[in-house]
Amino acid sequence: MSEFQQQALELARQQQAPDWLAPLRTSGADQWAQAAWPTRRTEQWKYTPLIPLQKTWFNRWGEPDLAQAGSIDWIDPEASRLVFVNGRFAADLSSNDLPAEVVRFAEAGPEQRALIEQHLGQVVDSERHLFAALSNAWTDDGVLLHVPAGQQLSGPLYVVHVSTPEAEPTPAGQRLLIVLDSGAQASVVEHFASTADSQSGFVNSLTEVVVGDNARFRHCRVHLEQEDLIHVGGVHVNLGRASHMNGFTLAQGSRLKRIDYQINHRGEGAELVLNGIYLPRNRQLVDYHTNVEHCVPHCTTSETFRGIIGDSSRAVFNGRIHIHPDAQKTLAELSNKNLLTSDRAEVDTKPELEIYADDVRCAHGATVSQLDPTALYYLQSRGISRLEAEVMLSFGFINELLREAPEPALQAWLRRHLNVLLGRPEQLTRHLDTGIEDSLS
Amino acid sequence: MSEQVDNLIRKEYAAGFHTLIDADTLPPGLNEDVVRFISAKKGEPDWMTEWRLKAYRAWTEMAEPDWAKVKYPPIDFQKISYYSAPKSMDDKPQSLDEVDPELLATYEKLGIPLHEQEMLAGVAVDAVFDSVSVVTTFRKKLWEAGVIFCPISEAVHDYPELVKKYLGSVVPQKDNYFAALNSAVFSDGSFVYIPKGVRCPMELSTYFRINEMNTGQFERTLIVAEEGSHVSYLEGCTAPMRDENQLHAAVVELVALDNAEIKYSTVQNWYPGDAEGKGGIYNFVTKRGICHTNAKISWTQVETGSAVTWKYPSCILKGDNSVGEFYSVALTNNYQQADTGTKMIHLGKNTRSTIIAKGISAGKSDSSYRGLVRINAGAEGARNFTQCDSLLIGDQCGAHTFPYIESRNPSAIVEHEATTSRVSDDQMFLCQQRGLDAEKAVSMIVNGFCREVFRELPMEFAVEAGKLLEVSLEGSVG
Repeated sequence: MSEFQQQALELARQQQAPDWLAPLRTSGADQWAQAAWPTRRTEQWKYTPLIPLQKTWFNRWGEPDLAQAGSIDWIDPEASRLVFVNGRFAADLSSNDLPAEVVRFAEAGPEQRALIEQHLGQVVDSERHLFAALSNAWTDDGVLLHVPAGQQLSGPLYVVHVSTPEAEPTPAGQRLLIVLDSGAQASVVEHFASTADSQSGFVNSLTEVVVGDNARFRHCRVHLEQEDLIHVGGVHVNLGRASHMNGFTLAQGSRLKRIDYQINHRGEGAELVLNGIYLPRNRQLVDYHTNVEHCVPHCTTSETFRGIIGDSSRAVFNGRIHIHPDAQKTLAELSNKNLLTSDRAEVDTKPELEIYADDVRCAHGATVSQLDPTALYYLQSRGISRLEAEVMLSFGFINELLREAPEPALQAWLRRHLNVLLGRPEQLTRHLDTGIEDSLS
Repeated sequence: MSEQVDNLIRKEYAAGFHTLIDADTLPPGLNEDVVRFISAKKGEPDWMTEWRLKAYRAWTEMAEPDWAKVKYPPIDFQKISYYSAPKSMDDKPQSLDEVDPELLATYEKLGIPLHEQEMLAGVAVDAVFDSVSVVTTFRKKLWEAGVIFCPISEAVHDYPELVKKYLGSVVPQKDNYFAALNSAVFSDGSFVYIPKGVRCPMELSTYFRINEMNTGQFERTLIVAEEGSHVSYLEGCTAPMRDENQLHAAVVELVALDNAEIKYSTVQNWYPGDAEGKGGIYNFVTKRGICHTNAKISWTQVETGSAVTWKYPSCILKGDNSVGEFYSVALTNNYQQADTGTKMIHLGKNTRSTIIAKGISAGKSDSSYRGLVRINAGAEGARNFTQCDSLLIGDQCGAHTFPYIESRNPSAIVEHEATTSRVSDDQMFLCQQRGLDAEKAVSMIVNGFCREVFRELPMEFAVEAGKLLEVSLEGSVG
């Protein structure tokens, strides 16, 4: 067992968790303790060394600083939201009138508890996802969203995780369980944020979703933390018969950022749209691993990930589509495009297809290049400065995906945020005032 | 220190193996003495023996790779005999009547002439019939051009400087498990040297090299193309090859110096095992070429045989403006498994690579494309295009794609696309409506699917390859 594994177990022992979560915590701790620590030879972690994590010493849980956390820019201040600061629930920052469908594990009634016990840790395969095992071992609280059959969640639910600086590095766990019964509908936005100060925390997040038959699920997950923060996260979804999921994710880089998406088509006719954007810069790293399992016939997947990789940063993308035997009439497409904007940037991409059924149509594509010089020339010849042209083209590259993000409020907020991010020299963000987001949308 | 070590090694050498030297066949097992024995049997100079031993020592510290998507029972490397004298005439079948009729039927379908059938089936024939004169003519022509084309065991004696300089320069002894094993115990293979500015007057083929049939299971090929030279090399043949050795671990090294061009074509049709998948050949091959400035290496392969194929012909594009190409058709049927692809390592500026891989899976087989395109930071303006298409025939087989793309230069453009589909009902209907039976229709569609690759094959191979696919796919339809 590596030193970090031991530390993590010690941290689990420091927690006070409800008794009924003990079986999950114990099995998680056992798996975590027995797991081999990933090295460069571990395929799942080939391009993403865990050294930043190993080099940091975590020996206590964090104490949230609510005053600081309250200063972050909420995506939609009006929407219902649950806020966690350094892994602790912050009632003062959360909405007072949360929908009845939402409950924290700590306050779950008997029925909700039964539901949690039934599903929590069941969607994710913690044998295959090391940090999911850790999340199980660390679960002392979390959020359950349960939408009963045929019902619709009134508005989008924001689950916000804020990191604030601490005197020493601290870890934080974040756990979300979403259960949509048949025919239910819900939209959830997960927002990972941090205050701007340097901080060397570690966020381990895990979202499990059960989408029932004919249910519709819209999901956004944006990771916009400060770059010193380490984040390893996972989204694991089971899709029921004729269900629909529209997923969107965006990540800025950090010292170590690894997000896994695991979607299982469990019922015939399920549809998945999953779009993602990653924008590492400086010396950051973003690693997206997605895996779509087509276990049954007649399902569709459309997955698009795009990245702009700048400075000395690195992006890793691994998109696997697995068609099981008998999953006939599957339609699956995956596209991954990357823009390298600096000589020192690096991208490692691996789109994978594993197919065991013959009557399917599957395709994947991946490209790596820089901004098209002729397009740049065209814009410059129209009197637009080179830098500005670069910003415009970069934005155009990801705008398509942004436009399909299922939550309009998030779209507008991200446009503003990205304009600042991409047009780092201030004079380049002037098109903010000229309403470029309108002209682009 | 190193002197002491050297002395120690020499000491062992003096005592270790002498008793063995008279034996014709070694008992199963592999150790340093066996490596020395093989080397001594071939009368190799000391440096060659040392080279082999270095490989052997590296091999003992390596682990067998397990990342490929193939399954086979564990190989006991101590149960294999690493040297046996060539079969004597008496042991061989005396005429075609003694040869497996199934094999003959396949030869018939491929349209192989009778005397070639005898040679392929290993029938004892006294003189090597017509081909003796053919070979003599060939040798003379090559000699005039200054081209060296001989067994590598001869090259070790006749051209030690060249062998010393280039052997292991592209695939080092420690490269991987099977390459290390090959380096330690390689039986024989070809050595080709094309002098500066020479365009090899004919396509070189292993087929025309005398003794080709006895190169054994650990073949080693080294091709060196000097500046501005050109050579096209053909390996294997379309006829099914039986071999009593189940494990084959070959190494091929290509060196294309400035402005040189090497074209390497392979048709591999080793015994794939019976319909239940028993007894087929394991083919674990390491093939790699290095391109210097403006050089070009082109790999073309048609893989239809072997029970398990593990093969990644690669190009290191070291020089500026160098070009690497990989065209592949891999067909698997019954219980065959193929994990094949390529690596294109872009180091020089304006290097270009093209990868066209076609995988066809039928029966209960599994075929995977596994490739790496790496653009290093210095590969300004590099360009790669990759296309992998898979065709599935039947619902019991699998087709997989694992492309790795690593890019570190913004001016490089890398494109990868892959599709998987099956022979569509519409296509079948159209063909059958025109009076073709189902089997013929599938073979036509498959041939069309592979056309981009066949086009790269030398003329006579291309025709045979089409036929070969047809024969290999037999029984997979209907």
